[in-house]
Amino acid sequence: MKQKLLTILVLFAVGITSALAQSKTITGKVTGADDGLTLPGVSVKVQGTSMGTQTNAEGKFTVNVPATAKALIFSYLGYASQTVAIGSRTVIDVKLNPDTKALAEVVVVGYQTIKRSDVVGALSTVDGKDLEAKPLASFTQLLQGAATGLQVTAANGRPGSNAVIRLRGQGSITAGSDPLIVVDGIQITTAAYNGLNPDDIENVSVLKDAQATAIYGSRGSNGVIIVTTKTGKANAPSLRYSFRFGKTQRQDFNNVRLMTSAEKLQYEYDAQYTNPTLDSMITNRGYVVTPPFPGAPGSKINFITPAQRQTIWDLAISRGAGDWSKYLFQNATMRTHEISLSGGADKLTYYLSGDINDNPGVERFSEFNRKGGRLNVTYQVKDWFKVGTNIGVTSSHEQRVRDAYNTQNSQGALFFFNPYEQPYNADGSYNLTAQGFSPLEGAVNNPTLYDRVNQFGTFYGEAHFLNHLTLKSQYALNYNTLAYQSYLEPGSNLAGILGYNQKNDQNNTDYFYSWTNTANWVQTIDNKHTFNALIGTEYDKDHVYNSSLTGRGFPSKDFTTLDNAATPTTATTSITEFSLISYFASLSYDFDKRYFINVSGRRDGSSRFGANVRFANFGAIGLAWDIKNEKFLTLPNWVSELKLRGSYGTAGNNTIPEYTPYGTYSVTTKYNDQTALIPSKLSNPNLTWETGYTKDAGLTYGFLDGRITGELDWYNRVNKNLLYPVNVSQTTGFTSYTGNIGAVQNQGIELAINGAVIRKKDLKWNVSFSYSHNDNKITQLYSDNAAGQAAYGITKLVVGQPINVYFLMREKGVDPADGQEVYYNIDGTETKTYAGSQAVVLSGKSPIVKYFGTIGTDVSYKGFDFDARFYYSGGNWIFNVVDQDATSSGDVSTNLLSYAANYWKKPGDVVPFPRVLDPATGKPDTKQATEFFTDKYLQKGDYVTLRDVTLGYTVPGKYTKRLGIANIRVFAQGTNLATWTKFHGNPETGDAGETTTANGTLYQYGYPPIKGYTFGIDVRF
Amino acid sequence: MKKILYTAALASVLVAGCSKSDLDLYPYNQVATEQAFNSQQLVQFDINGMYQGLRASGSYAVGTWNIIADVLSDNLVLDQVGRQSLKTYYQYTYSSNSTYGLFTGGYTVTRRANAILENIDKLPDGTFKNDARGQALALRAMLYFDMARVYSKTYLNASASDFTLPYVTTSSATNVPPSESLQGFYGKVIADLVAAEPLINPIATNTNIYLNREAVAGLLSRVYLYKGDYANCIAEANKALGTTPNLPNIATFPSIWTDATNAGVLFKVKNTSLDNINSPGVNYYQFTTRPTPTSTQNGYKSEYLPDFSFYQLYAATDVRKSAYFQTNYYNGTLYNHIIKYAGRSGPPELGIGIPNPSVSSANPAGVVDGKLLRTAEVLLNRMEAEYRSGAIPAAVADLVLLKSNRYTGYDPTADNLLTGAPLLNEILKQRRLELAFEGDRFWDLKRLNLPVQRDATHGEAADGSGVPPNVATLPAGDNRFNLPYPQSEINFNPGIKQNPGY
Repeated sequence: MKQKLLTILVLFAVGITSALAQSKTITGKVTGADDGLTLPGVSVKVQGTSMGTQTNAEGKFTVNVPATAKALIFSYLGYASQTVAIGSRTVIDVKLNPDTKALAEVVVVGYQTIKRSDVVGALSTVDGKDLEAKPLASFTQLLQGAATGLQVTAANGRPGSNAVIRLRGQGSITAGSDPLIVVDGIQITTAAYNGLNPDDIENVSVLKDAQATAIYGSRGSNGVIIVTTKTGKANAPSLRYSFRFGKTQRQDFNNVRLMTSAEKLQYEYDAQYTNPTLDSMITNRGYVVTPPFPGAPGSKINFITPAQRQTIWDLAISRGAGDWSKYLFQNATMRTHEISLSGGADKLTYYLSGDINDNPGVERFSEFNRKGGRLNVTYQVKDWFKVGTNIGVTSSHEQRVRDAYNTQNSQGALFFFNPYEQPYNADGSYNLTAQGFSPLEGAVNNPTLYDRVNQFGTFYGEAHFLNHLTLKSQYALNYNTLAYQSYLEPGSNLAGILGYNQKNDQNNTDYFYSWTNTANWVQTIDNKHTFNALIGTEYDKDHVYNSSLTGRGFPSKDFTTLDNAATPTTATTSITEFSLISYFASLSYDFDKRYFINVSGRRDGSSRFGANVRFANFGAIGLAWDIKNEKFLTLPNWVSELKLRGSYGTAGNNTIPEYTPYGTYSVTTKYNDQTALIPSKLSNPNLTWETGYTKDAGLTYGFLDGRITGELDWYNRVNKNLLYPVNVSQTTGFTSYTGNIGAVQNQGIELAINGAVIRKKDLKWNVSFSYSHNDNKITQLYSDNAAGQAAYGITKLVVGQPINVYFLMREKGVDPADGQEVYYNIDGTETKTYAGSQAVVLSGKSPIVKYFGTIGTDVSYKGFDFDARFYYSGGNWIFNVVDQDATSSGDVSTNLLSYAANYWKKPGDVVPFPRVLDPATGKPDTKQATEFFTDKYLQKGDYVTLRDVTLGYTVPGKYTKRLGIANIRVFAQGTNLATWTKFHGNPETGDAGETTTANGTLYQYGYPPIKGYTFGIDVRF
Repeated sequence: MKKILYTAALASVLVAGCSKSDLDLYPYNQVATEQAFNSQQLVQFDINGMYQGLRASGSYAVGTWNIIADVLSDNLVLDQVGRQSLKTYYQYTYSSNSTYGLFTGGYTVTRRANAILENIDKLPDGTFKNDARGQALALRAMLYFDMARVYSKTYLNASASDFTLPYVTTSSATNVPPSESLQGFYGKVIADLVAAEPLINPIATNTNIYLNREAVAGLLSRVYLYKGDYANCIAEANKALGTTPNLPNIATFPSIWTDATNAGVLFKVKNTSLDNINSPGVNYYQFTTRPTPTSTQNGYKSEYLPDFSFYQLYAATDVRKSAYFQTNYYNGTLYNHIIKYAGRSGPPELGIGIPNPSVSSANPAGVVDGKLLRTAEVLLNRMEAEYRSGAIPAAVADLVLLKSNRYTGYDPTADNLLTGAPLLNEILKQRRLELAFEGDRFWDLKRLNLPVQRDATHGEAADGSGVPPNVATLPAGDNRFNLPYPQSEINFNPGIKQNPGY
């Protein structure tokens, strides 16, 4: 009824303006030219007027037109617009042709949506159609390979883990090198993005140059990723159900393997070491150990007969675990159910979805389960006023096995527990092994649980006036809670070691909200001059509240809440806050779709900086020239698109901890259980923004009627006033304070080529190639004292070198004459003595990736589709701590890599590892058995991986429609099925152990990367 | 038009809704540095902060200090089964990349003392102010002296051209001090302690978990002994010990190590069960459990075990033998585990497979206070100073006093006759036995310019089998007696001269 009233009102208004003009009624039906299906929601406009309507659910329309009307314009997203002359007809049926490029026509940029053809900056998009074809397990997987210049490295294989995301190289040195991620208008933390259901995502825009990111001001210097979730279409309801079933497993080590029991026992014997497990076996068997015992030094195994030794060894081998990975890892079964309903009536659109995802980890006893739901609604309250909301809620449950450099970490346990040790005793109890610990017992009895609820909510109202002006006010929030429980259960081995059982419960709530108001004026004059002006304000506030409670003395492990603890031990809470006030504006103008210019600016004030330098301004200018549309140049016909872009501008980085500029004393510590005040940090009232200055030049091209398309970009980004700890002399009682230390430059090129080799109705074949090259270089350091970031001081910040260039003593190799390691002094002379003072900067060798990209192909034939994508990456160096630990005779008590046996045994041996025994004493050579930090363990991180292969089949509609099903698709996907590398281990580990501070610097014992298969079915009704 | 006006009005309200003051956010758990000394109570908290620093440093009182001087010397042998912790120290393969943490840890705490000294005049004159100043001066001097013992030659083995680390007395963050003359450094340590002595409250007021007048005197006796100033050593020892030295007897001696008594402890760093730092115990072993007691009971899994020959020096009648060691199986082999720091409840197990009923969650394993100065050490300082200054009867009397409180059924007849080298050797032996695993032996060898001579033919097991030390000796005066400064500081501060050999 209301709709009719409004229609009457509109008609009445129209009637007045058109005076007493005659009118007639036209009806008709709109269908798709490709499949003949009716199209609901098509806009039908009378040319030259503002009159019009939309098609209904059956694709039919009725419109009153004045007698003077000449033509109707039909337009629909995804289809080419059509203008149809009216003539004397009163019934007009139209077939719209799909426009393959049309969906890409609209892109989301900072605070607004613009036409793809009007884009001035460097940006890449992943949109709905690309996303639909490919099953995605996570947001991280969605981003991988999504854009040139975007480097996404899975932190590790833990389900639910974050990724290391770098856009156009590493611009900052501190942790804040991640790009800003904005979901439906609100920035989200890296911890929250894995709460997103990738199937809820409509499109993703990756903003790369300053023209695109300047509008995000203080947060944009490392790029911006804008995620928009799905909305319903004015359409009949569409119901979709999908089910996925997958298997994942741990990726094997590349190029190396662990020793077998027999190899390890032989190595131990040669190194004069006896595991106490064997010692007790010797004692139990009553073997006579000669030279006479007691009082004899040396390992018992060296003093029994060879036959006895072999008996002991055989026994140990037969009892032992052999391959510990059988006990520590598993083939994990992943299951996902998902259902969504979307559609709309003439004033209302909706998208409703829910998903359940069970994802056990490849480490036994680890799992990540997620349940989520989303509701996106828009409602056209008045013809000039629209409101909408996007709400997503996700809850997840995670159990982790400890991930640190110790025996409780599964990947570490592979090395720390010898293959001849048994996992369980004969009576079924856990074998505590010679290490005094069982990793299996630890994982079961010392569980760590994370329960999270992530909520993303956006509420907005949008008013449209005067044909050109849109006002929008949006309140968005990201509310995350985490309940953390870590239990040292009564009766667990560790509780016995520590002398107490204990449970720690933590709660964390992070309430971030953002209030954005924008006004946008878009007008085209004389069909030649288009203006797009945007002004806006934004206020962000973050409030984080933590509590932590600990209690001891639980009566049994069945009691898991702290009210059962005999002794409460600690209770703390803490609060941190952050706020940001911003004003921004952007003005775009284009002349005749040939010349484009955009100017944007932003003023930000942040609570993280000192009062004197709290506010800062950022801005950018971008220019573009659409050569194809140029009048005075006539490009040959085989050029279908050619556009030149260039931009220059600034953006900032404020990702440093809260309250950094203040010099403070902290009150949180105690002495004798009484308050203690201790200096917390040095003040730096001059602490200011890190600012990125980016130059970008780019070319968008299309040839042969769009058969070959792509982009080529060059950029140069200099981040100045890098935020980083500034060293002070350690004699001051501090090692550093947060300051601005210098500048780093990232310069690179990005190339994307897409080719449509075959473009027939039934057979399509596309190939794609992308290449990103980035040179990272520190161009300025205000003082020469900046430290490297990695542990052990093995990296440095040096002008002219990439960030964290390695700083190590060089190793020549093992002297074939005497089996000792030979090193180089700084001056190049050889020495057999390691000295940290002889470390040199290894020019150009840094953990930073220099090039990466994808090679992909997809083929579709009738209902079948096939897609394969390789990912390659290289130019970086990784310090391989695992190699260092597991090839050295320094600690023989743990397992080693098999090739460690390739050590020097006699003069003339040309081998990688030094002698184990000192010939002078006949005893282990301690000098050679030390794990010094030299470039011996520095390895190239280059690799190529078969990232994913997907084979799908869509059952033709003519069969399914009878069942009332619009569409059924089945698919199988393999991820990371093969990797080619020379690295020892797994080169693709963004964070190879949670003790690492500099990503990619050290390869340690983190959660292993995974590979797997997924099978799935999608059904649409 | 009206709706535009409404919207515009609303929009401007929204924009004005946030003001610049919304950016003024301050931490909830910190105070500005300038405000940290404004009252007596705050200064008391600052004083607590100094001692908290001593506890928090992983390289000091409640960290590895109780083992490092033994790992480096001839008191310990590596347990092959252990976690191989501190192995670079055991094998003398430390480099400027991996250094002992007391350099950074020490200056972190002396900086706290310096800030108190710089701000103390904000308080009115009086006892509190004097005591606060005295504690800051004494704590700074104590720590600097221990740092110099780690990184530098000792006074008697150094010349005027030898350098040590800088004696920093400012809290300035821009200070980049150079190395300091070792002899001058000793002078500053002594000056601070001497200045502190009359200001600081006695132990009766301050208790032994804060520095106190007796502890300052005891520290001075230590410094004077290293300096070779025996008269002052004796004088200060007398002040510390009083006329009747509080030397726990055989019955109470074991209680020192479970914190059940304060007797004989002049200064210790408090480590409460809530602080829960189990390093004192864990430095030596981890305790593992197995449900059924058998002859191969898993128990202490040691990191280090006593050197075979050294262990034989403990007589069966020596209370220190049972207080410091427990002979027990691990995985079928018998070891002499070091249980000096087992925790406030004592060893978790009293014997093979006998659970200790007093173990409770209130007293976590390995968590005990960090003893930094005991009357026994002061007495040992005094008897050595007496010997070296020719006061043989006094030295013998002190020796007898100590031994009568350590050996059951002790007969002083033989010791009363000691003189010359045998007397000195007995004094030094008692020092080694008494202060074993307490942060003394390696520095003492350095002071006496003696080599490290480990038992090269015996391993870690109780019967001497096992793996003997791969490095059995460190010659007297070897450069590795002086640990390297961190390379990162050398890189930053070229004024610091690295010790030779690194």
